[in-house]
Parts: sequence; C-alpha cells; structure tokens
Amino acid sequence: MRPRKPKPPNRLRQQLSASHLFLTGGLLLPAYLLQPSLSVRIGQVLLFSGLVYLAGKRIMWLYFAIMVASITFFNLLTPIGRVLVSIGPLQVTSVALRNGLMKGFTIVGLVFISLFSIRPDLRLPGKLGGLVARVFFYFERIIEGKKRIEARRLIGSIDDVLTELYVPGQQKSEAVVQQVSTTVLGYALMGTLIGLNWLLLFI
Amino acid sequence: MIKHQYEKLELIAFMGALCLFFSTIEYLFPKPFPFFRLGLANLPVLITIKLFPPGYVLLLVLLKVLGHGLINGTLASYVFLFSTAGSFSSAIVMLAAWHLCRNHISLVGVSVFGALASNAVQIFLSVTFIFGRSAWIIAPPFMTLGAASGVAVGLFAARFAEQSRWLATVRDYYAPS
Repeated sequence: MRPRKPKPPNRLRQQLSASHLFLTGGLLLPAYLLQPSLSVRIGQVLLFSGLVYLAGKRIMWLYFAIMVASITFFNLLTPIGRVLVSIGPLQVTSVALRNGLMKGFTIVGLVFISLFSIRPDLRLPGKLGGLVARVFFYFERIIEGKKRIEARRLIGSIDDVLTELYVPGQQKSEAVVQQVSTTVLGYALMGTLIGLNWLLLFI
Repeated sequence: MIKHQYEKLELIAFMGALCLFFSTIEYLFPKPFPFFRLGLANLPVLITIKLFPPGYVLLLVLLKVLGHGLINGTLASYVFLFSTAGSFSSAIVMLAAWHLCRNHISLVGVSVFGALASNAVQIFLSVTFIFGRSAWIIAPPFMTLGAASGVAVGLFAARFAEQSRWLATVRDYYAPS
C-alpha cells in the first residue's frame, strides 16, 4: 500500500484566530454569491482552494470535478439558448451550459470557503458551545485509543476503549480549548481577502 | 432512579464524540459513489434511542451535525444543510418507529426507516437546490443503496448492543430495567 502524503501545515492558524477566520469567511460570502461573472467566479474558487491548502486541508479534486460535471450535465438535460454542439441525443446549449457551470462552481466555492474559514477551535456561544467543546474533548481521547482498535475483533476492541474512557457517574469536566490570537499579518490577510472579493464585484 | 441532568448531558456529549469517531472509521469502507455514505455515525443515535427520551436524542443529533461541520469545515456550506436535514429527518422517523412499534421492531428495522428518511430528504434537497428536476432519475438506486446501508448499520448496532459490556454498564446506570 502506498503511504499517505502528510497533511500540509495549517499556516492560517498561525496568523488568525478561529473567530476572525470565521468572520472573514462570513464577509466574503455575499461578495462571492453576488458575483455575476463566471470567469471571475472560477478565479475566486481557485483563490479559495489556495486558502484551503494554507489551512492545512487536502482537497479531493476528483470529487469536486465530478460534482461540477454532474451538476452541469443535469442542467444540460433542459436545453436553453443556442445549440453549441450535439453529442448524440444531448444538445449542449449556451445558457444551460453557463447556468450549470455557474451553479457547480458556486457550490464548490462555498465548500472551499467553509473548509478554510471553519476549524474545530471555533467556540460556539452558550451552553451548546460548552457541550460541543465536551464532544471534542471526548473525541480526542477516543482518537488516541483508535490504534488499539482491531478489524478482526472490532466490537470487542471498541468496547475496551469505551470502557476505559467513560465510566458512568465518574466524569470530570476538563475541556480546555487553546485559543490563538490574530497577528498583524493575519489582519492584513483578512482585509486583503475581503477587500479584493468585494472590489471584484464592481470591476 | 432519576440521574442528574449533568450526567445525562455528559453521556450525550460522549455519544456525540462517538458519532464523530464512527464517521472517521466510515472512510475506511469503499464507497460505490462519491456522494454515498454508509451512515455508521448513526450507530450511537440508534443506541441512544433505546436509552433516553426524544429530547436528548435530538440534542445528540445536533451535536453530531455541529461537530461534523466544525471538524470537516463544512459548517457554512450546502453539505451542512444536507447533513442537518438528513440527520434530523432520520432521527425523527427512527424515534417515531421505535416509540410506535417498540415491541415489534428491531434495531435493523429502525435503522432502515432512518436511512430511507435521510436519503429521501437529501434527494429532495439535491433536486431542489443543486441538480434540478432531471435528477429524480437517481432516486431509485439511491434509495436502494440507502436501504442496504440501513440494514448494514442496523445489524452492526444490534450486534454491538448485544455484545458490548460498556453499553450494558451504561444501560444499567441510566435506564435500569
């Protein structure tokens, strides 16, 4: 079996706090969705893919290529506009093709914005936020025990890990989330990204 | 004996972590289609249905979708909308099936109901928001796969419920018969 490539380091985490990164994504979103030009939108998707890489996440390009292709294909089934080319019984029409590509790239871009702007240390407010923090606390501990899980003795080995981690009535609250502050470079990146995407709306 | 609410919430948080864990294991299984998911993360939900009242089960589903959205970074995308709608519809249908037919339905049956509900809602959303009406043609194979995955997860859940010593301890503590 080919060894898996190591994940790229999360460079955005070194510069931006989870809440500022989330805010950046939120402020980019309307500028991205209001963008009428297909070519600019494709450019934005490429920019967001770079940010996903900086956030230390891998992109499954084949998955997203299939997604754009299938959305475009289903749009082409309802012909609108000038016939560009006929492939057997399928007529590729100009408006249906543009609409399909626009919809496909919009959805992929939204996923990319979400991928780079949201990370597990984003603290949600209130009691629910506290419970989510507990979920992550336990999740980290379960993941630590993952190596002991054997495929041949799946239920038994999962059971051993669970028995060790959770004894009813004996839980202690110790979820601590390490917060990162935004640096000057982080603020500059935030301003540039938001400014650039809004500027593209008016050019 | 009625346990303190804090303890129950603590178990729900632990079950939420288990959902996330099972969804990481899920990537080990081959997928016939890029959009297909086995639904192993539903296993703790299935187990909790037998232990706690509906409010706690729905809270677990909320923690599951939020945790998943935060870990995978999909919280602000259509994936989160699909996941939330699918998970809640599945949980509501599973709860209804369990409470209405408690003595006449197995975990496999409950799981199949849940998988079918989740898939039906996700097909509806993908037709409405992404692919358009032409995409209804994917419904029959998608629902068939959903039923098959429901059976697989239900069988695993039933076996886990039968063999797990940990679950027996939890059951004795929170819902003694």
